[in-house]
Amino acid sequence: MKKNSLKFVFITSVALVIIFAAILFLRKPAKAEKSERKENLNEIVLYHQDKFDPGPGSSSSVIKEAKAMPVYGHWQNFTTKDGLPSDKAYAVKIDDDRVWAGTHDGLALYENGKWRTYTSEDGLAHNGVVSIDVSETTGDVWVGTLGGLSRFSEGKFETFNQFNSGLPNDLVYNVCCYGKDVWVATGGGAGRYNTETKQWEIFTELNAPMHEPWTYALSGGEGKVWIAAWGGGVIEYNNQTKKFRDYTDPDGFMEIDLMPDDGPVHDITTATYYANGIIWVSSYFGLSRYDGKNWNGYFDHDSGLASNFINNLKAKGPIVYVCSDKGFSTFNGETWVTYKKNENDENGKAIITNGKEVKEVAQTPSISHNFIIGADADDDVVWVATSKGVSRGEVLR
Amino acid sequence: MKLLFSIIMGFLLLIPFNSNGQEKIVNYGNIPDELVGYDKYMKAYKYHFLTPIQFYGAGREKLAPNDLKEVRIGFLGPLEGSILVSLGNQMLNGSTLAIEEANKKGGYKGIPFKLMIHNDVGLWGAAANQIVSMDDEKVWAWLGSIDDIVSHVAIRATLKLEIPNVNTGDPDPTFTETNIPWVVRTIPDDRQSSYALVERIYRKDKHSRVAVIRTGSRYGRVGVLHFNRSATRIGFPIIIEERFKDGETDFKGRLDRIKGTSPDAILIWGNATETALILQQIRDLGMKLPVYTSDRAVSQEFLKLAGNLADGIVTTCQYNPDANDPKLKAFKASYTKRFGMEPDVFAAHAYDGMNILIEAINKAGLNRALIRDVLTDLKTFQGYKGVTGVVNFDATWNNVRPIYMAECINGKFRFSPAPPYNKADVIYKKVKRETEY
Repeated sequence: MKKNSLKFVFITSVALVIIFAAILFLRKPAKAEKSERKENLNEIVLYHQDKFDPGPGSSSSVIKEAKAMPVYGHWQNFTTKDGLPSDKAYAVKIDDDRVWAGTHDGLALYENGKWRTYTSEDGLAHNGVVSIDVSETTGDVWVGTLGGLSRFSEGKFETFNQFNSGLPNDLVYNVCCYGKDVWVATGGGAGRYNTETKQWEIFTELNAPMHEPWTYALSGGEGKVWIAAWGGGVIEYNNQTKKFRDYTDPDGFMEIDLMPDDGPVHDITTATYYANGIIWVSSYFGLSRYDGKNWNGYFDHDSGLASNFINNLKAKGPIVYVCSDKGFSTFNGETWVTYKKNENDENGKAIITNGKEVKEVAQTPSISHNFIIGADADDDVVWVATSKGVSRGEVLR
Repeated sequence: MKLLFSIIMGFLLLIPFNSNGQEKIVNYGNIPDELVGYDKYMKAYKYHFLTPIQFYGAGREKLAPNDLKEVRIGFLGPLEGSILVSLGNQMLNGSTLAIEEANKKGGYKGIPFKLMIHNDVGLWGAAANQIVSMDDEKVWAWLGSIDDIVSHVAIRATLKLEIPNVNTGDPDPTFTETNIPWVVRTIPDDRQSSYALVERIYRKDKHSRVAVIRTGSRYGRVGVLHFNRSATRIGFPIIIEERFKDGETDFKGRLDRIKGTSPDAILIWGNATETALILQQIRDLGMKLPVYTSDRAVSQEFLKLAGNLADGIVTTCQYNPDANDPKLKAFKASYTKRFGMEPDVFAAHAYDGMNILIEAINKAGLNRALIRDVLTDLKTFQGYKGVTGVVNFDATWNNVRPIYMAECINGKFRFSPAPPYNKADVIYKKVKRETEY
């Protein structure tokens, strides 16, 4: 009897172990059905280079790794200690040899190595400056503030607000000069100011394919203007035909992105920029790229993107400059270079991502802060507005 | 012995089913499995809102000012020039009561709290200007608003200016789906109401031909969205949807069209006044079918206008106003004594929301980023017990606690817990997915 019991225990135990193993095997989560284009970064082989300071003019295997992408370094950081009116910077705009910076406490101009501040006492609509653009035709500086739109021309400010003009709303999230027009994005709709006729035109859900008039960024090119509409994807306006079309995420659900390459990754868009035949679209859910035929979506888990939470973006030529809450990413459709500052010191790294390969390059110093709100690039220089100061980087050769 | 051994081994065998969280996926927003978009056929590439977004910007290092004479908290609500003024006043009263009680207890380290009151006006974009004003006034946080449009415009500005916000009155599901890490909402949303109504109308009451008449405002459009989608997904698409403008009084033409489709129930999604008028005109047309409404019918205004016709109306409510809870009873007594009226859902939630804000300021100190951290840490206020019930934030800081059904009997709403959503017995093979990337 005792022998039979032991035999029963042994057989039962073996059977249960087999069943147990089979269950564990079958319970492995189904592998994500990602498109073949996507690379699983878990498989990336990491290369680390602890020290890297090639200096201008040097050639390096690291720079080669970035292929056609510029790698920026030699960062200079500016805060209130250097003359900025506030450490919290919202926007930067390169204007030939000058640079404008929009901060929470004023508009700053960097010229000949010094900062100068303009505030409401100088005629600025509001001290909180969140967007800046410079007209290529007139050289006027257009400033979007928390309390209206200002034009800086010949040393004087002129203010546009809801009471004295057709400005849709006083909080001007974005201003964009395109030809003779100045476009603004506000929570009350997009506005177009014709600087020749001095007429305003407002675009809302009443005359454009938007659910609501919540617009937060815009960009012009090739006779069209693209508007990032909160909850409405991207609205394209054709200046010639005066017709609209919209680009939205086809899956129709806020809580998912069914397929990354079927349109914008989300309808809540934060910025859009057109350059080199490409429309770039940012959101708090990832980045999208549209070449006129195909959409591509990029997330922080499948690309070199610093974070899915993207505050803003700007494009120049083939390169997009992505301002995220966890670093500054640049991308040309193939190669990523992402800049991140270390948490506890002034140093950081540039992370170059080519498909499966990732190379990290140490940088001393790094950008001013990882929370990036605005950027602008020109030739060999990039400027970045951050949560704690403004940074200037040079292309490393 | 054989029996004992079998029991032990059987128990060990069952352990894997309970120990691995992967198999017990909690869908975002309490979405029943059956209603998850596309999930019957394929896995989405990316699932949002499963982990909270953090704020990585600067600001936590800022020192608190030491010369303050008052600690300012902003309030944004419909106080004039809006059809929602009565709701806005209730929200303001609830907030005021919480502030007054906090000041009686010493305010913030002896400094009184002060409410900086702003009317949201309701015009496009105007709320953004009010948030800028609050920033200029140096508020530490703000509470509001009710209207969907106002709230959306305001939170985009609050993100830019980095001011914590507690919303206690806007049930728009998309409000917290914006991924803004400066915003929490304590009132359960219309997604929860929609699921409860679908369960009640189709499963319990066995209707199959439901007509919808709703306000054309965002409250109606977004509010009814999840009801429509869910009804369609379980096999009963609504048979007709009619719209009206807030403030309209004659709905006969639209109700005639609805009558022509032979519905077996009608859902009205709108504010109290229009809901009562529509109910009256439904009965005037001789339609005796059951009527369901959105939660704004739970108000004295609706009961007064609808009179006897209100009996039998079924809707939802975000809490149980008649709960046998000493805290709720004390609040109702204080509120009635202070303002000479009974509190409604907006007053009660504002009272809770303002108390949460005050507690967050007391814990974090005078620093917006740190106040945000406390509000959103999913620890400090998770399970917070207020007069409206508990707070159960999801990863978007949306309160997904269970809601209540409200049924009008003898001129008074009676409340009961909304029954959990029952999955239909259908051929349904759910594709496995990962909880997050």
